[in-house]
Amino acid sequence: MKLKEGIREKNVVVKCGADTFLPFALVFGLCVILLGTISPGGGFQGGVIVASACLLVYLGYGYDTTSKAIKISVLEVNESLGAILYVLLACCGIVFGVRFCENVFYNCGNIGDLISAGTITFMSFSVGYKVLTGIGFLLLLLLSLLGNTDEEEEMEE
Amino acid sequence: MKKIVCLISLFVLLAAGVFAVNYTFKEVPITYDGSDTDVTKLYADPKSYDLSDPDGVADIIVKTNLDKTMAVNDVASVVFDYRGFDTIGESFILLSAIAGSFAILRTRKKGKEEDHEA
Repeated sequence: MKLKEGIREKNVVVKCGADTFLPFALVFGLCVILLGTISPGGGFQGGVIVASACLLVYLGYGYDTTSKAIKISVLEVNESLGAILYVLLACCGIVFGVRFCENVFYNCGNIGDLISAGTITFMSFSVGYKVLTGIGFLLLLLLSLLGNTDEEEEMEE
Repeated sequence: MKKIVCLISLFVLLAAGVFAVNYTFKEVPITYDGSDTDVTKLYADPKSYDLSDPDGVADIIVKTNLDKTMAVNDVASVVFDYRGFDTIGESFILLSAIAGSFAILRTRKKGKEEDHEA
């Protein structure tokens, strides 16, 4: 009961904290995804960091604003899009006559550049896209239960 | 008929397993198995560990990774190139988990919408 009241009050400190850390979470997560092939990190980890931004928005502004800002149906479609993109990029190897999942675009830059790893880089991007939409969809789905219970209580009141 | 087919397939699987075990024991070269190492001594002086020639799979990956994949990060090349199938499996586990939770949690939401319409 206390928790629900705390969320419904939307404390100024929590709101300011959400506002402050939202850009940091987004930029850091996207950085982890983009630099996955030349530094520690990768698609899965960065995707989960970006998806945690959903929780920050929810903490600051409640479920109604979150569901207006982030459309749940768009995330649902984009997750499958990321998975299809990964499989297509992996099939590039078969098209060029080598192993499934093998890197085919050699020499796209100096070693250490962002796209020097060829298809590996884009596969990492697609996995990151898939994970960030998937985990965001899951978080919004779980938060929608909390949102519905709040609406029920308000209607009863 | 079903039993016969089941028995035959099981026998084939068993034969394949026995053949695979024999083959691996024949082909795998002797790698570092951890014998003759003093762990306390290694912990006290980590620089004494011989890094010059890794053996087994580590040798192949460390030495030929740049020529094969052009990726600086060895872990990224293992995850997305050598073990691409594994990553596909992982991402589809996530997809199926989300689909399952959506199937469970959706019914309540649907009922809500019907209530609103009515």
